[in-house]
Amino acid sequence: MMAPETSSDLLQVSHFSVDLYTARAALRPVDGVSYSVAPGETLAIVGESGSGKTVLNFAPLGLMPTGVVTDLSGSVLFDGQQLVGLPEPALRRIRGGKIGTIFQDPMSALNPALRIGRQIAEVAELHLGMTHAQAEARALDLLKLVRMSDPQARLRQYPHELSGGLRQRAMIAIAIAAEPRLLIADEPTTALDVTVQAQIIGLLKDLQRRLNTAIVLITHDMGVVASIAARVAVMYAGRLAEYGPVEQVLLTPRHPYTRGLIAALPSVDDAPGSPFRGLPGTPPVLGAPLPGCAFAPRCPQVIDICARQYPPLRGSGGPGPGAAVACHVVNARPSKEQAHA
Amino acid sequence: MHEAEDLLRVENLVTRFKSVERGKWVTAVDDVSIRLAPGEMVGLVGESGCGKSTLGRSIVGLERPQSGRILLDGVDLSSLRGRALRETRRAIQYVFQDPYASLNDRQTIGETLTEALIIIGMTDREAQRRRVHTLLDQVGLPDALAERYPRELSGGQRQRVAIARSLAVEPRVLICDEPVSALDLSIRAQVMNLFLTLHKDLGVACLFIAHDLALVRQATSRTYVMYLGKIVEDASSAELYARPSHPYTQALLGSIPSADPRVEAHREPPPIFGDIPSPTNPPSGCRFRTRCPRAMEVCASGPPPRLALAPRHHASCVIAGDLYAHSHPEPHRLPMPA
Repeated sequence: MMAPETSSDLLQVSHFSVDLYTARAALRPVDGVSYSVAPGETLAIVGESGSGKTVLNFAPLGLMPTGVVTDLSGSVLFDGQQLVGLPEPALRRIRGGKIGTIFQDPMSALNPALRIGRQIAEVAELHLGMTHAQAEARALDLLKLVRMSDPQARLRQYPHELSGGLRQRAMIAIAIAAEPRLLIADEPTTALDVTVQAQIIGLLKDLQRRLNTAIVLITHDMGVVASIAARVAVMYAGRLAEYGPVEQVLLTPRHPYTRGLIAALPSVDDAPGSPFRGLPGTPPVLGAPLPGCAFAPRCPQVIDICARQYPPLRGSGGPGPGAAVACHVVNARPSKEQAHA
Repeated sequence: MHEAEDLLRVENLVTRFKSVERGKWVTAVDDVSIRLAPGEMVGLVGESGCGKSTLGRSIVGLERPQSGRILLDGVDLSSLRGRALRETRRAIQYVFQDPYASLNDRQTIGETLTEALIIIGMTDREAQRRRVHTLLDQVGLPDALAERYPRELSGGQRQRVAIARSLAVEPRVLICDEPVSALDLSIRAQVMNLFLTLHKDLGVACLFIAHDLALVRQATSRTYVMYLGKIVEDASSAELYARPSHPYTQALLGSIPSADPRVEAHREPPPIFGDIPSPTNPPSGCRFRTRCPRAMEVCASGPPPRLALAPRHHASCVIAGDLYAHSHPEPHRLPMPA
């Protein structure tokens, strides 16, 4: 149907769901999601807050808030290893090792009491078995690799002494310290200014070329998606709404949600003072899984069946491998839709 | 020239803070002059740390400026005291960035709005109720929300409540500090359209502080660009985006990634270096010279002149004239699909 099961994929997520049980409620932030990432490839996961994009990526790594019972089902195959159900000690070897992570806010992700050099060296010592001196030397090399100015001095500095852009570079240095095969970057540039964002994206692309690292980039910025990703997965209310090659999804979006999101981007052709285009209604509140399509209340193309039956993710059979949409309306008329696009 | 028409005028404003380093000062707003005509939508853009929020906060009196004047209808606010100051300043209201932090979570929406009404002396219960209803209606919220608490509302609804609260005292100027950046993508347009409607219906002037340049272009008629405490360029929004004439403005616009992967495949990031320097010790001469791809020797020697490039277009750069002459008359490519 989609994401053909090839052994060449580095990460293969199939029918993956996450259930959260808190003291008050049972939630399903991720519901039956499937996608795959090839070595050296970048997949962008796009969605609004509460769409489950962060939980989708961090729950398999055991990174969930405390005080919450997390129940994973389905399969997350990474480099031939099943992450679902893996005990914590084994996960710990993977986290920061074969899978590096970059978080949105570097200030809260870095240890404020440790010098930058030590935080990088620590990773190399733990995962690569380096000696103290080797690891310190590697920390210096990594700071040069992430193009930090004056790397020798930065090694001795604490996170609070660095600007936001430099902190994010330090985070990236830590994430790649153990030569990961996969980098998971959760909104890595959202907290940064546009000029710095351009630098960080340039850096990520450059590192990917050099190290052949696969990247899963979680973002809500279509510009960031266009500038770095090869494929996109659009999430809405815990499910994939649309999935496919970046050109296809951004230029000829098919799901009404994706179409709305992309149409909402301000364009240079909009006159000053002209109204902004947007989506009506509000994003759904996280809760129990819905029987129908979660986008139905906001959808301009809604039909009867949408509220009753959940639309499965269907491949278009069109150009580009693995392009798929979860929409009753779009999937009912695939050929017409393509002509229209 | 336009002095008599200006609703709000800020003249040579300086706001300083004591630095963590002993005996040092951070000049967050350094000799800034801006103006707002009645009912005008004006943008103020710049990177974080450039002083744009401090400027906004100084205007409403949340920070005490070191020197300079803030004039409302030609009346210098610093010449007023006590009751007169409070009543005059009421005409300028602030909308904060984070609607999760700016509302009292122990008050219902109705109580929050009524509090503002009591402050302006509306004591009649029935009148209060009617006004709360009107306010909620103006920001597109159902009347029933008056009984609810902020925690029961979504981010977009909270920001509407915050806007309604600012409108309660019938302001003439709204200072909006990143009013939609905490909101979800699909909600932003709704709140932006609310500002456009309020502007049209009530004639409120807005100073729109934001870092999202595409948003500011569409919402405002004029834009100021700020860098390290100084206004470096100002022009009508259409012209600023079409013919940016300060290297910083050019870098800022050039940094926005396009949502078209075909454009992105060939686009080079602008040659701008590093991060914004510390405002404790700003570079001598032109403050942008340490990151500027066009920096020359003369840039270090003294502050750049503010050049008039067109009747309503100014840029503070020695080569602004050149950049203006060579700028493409076609509009700058903003994020947009094909």
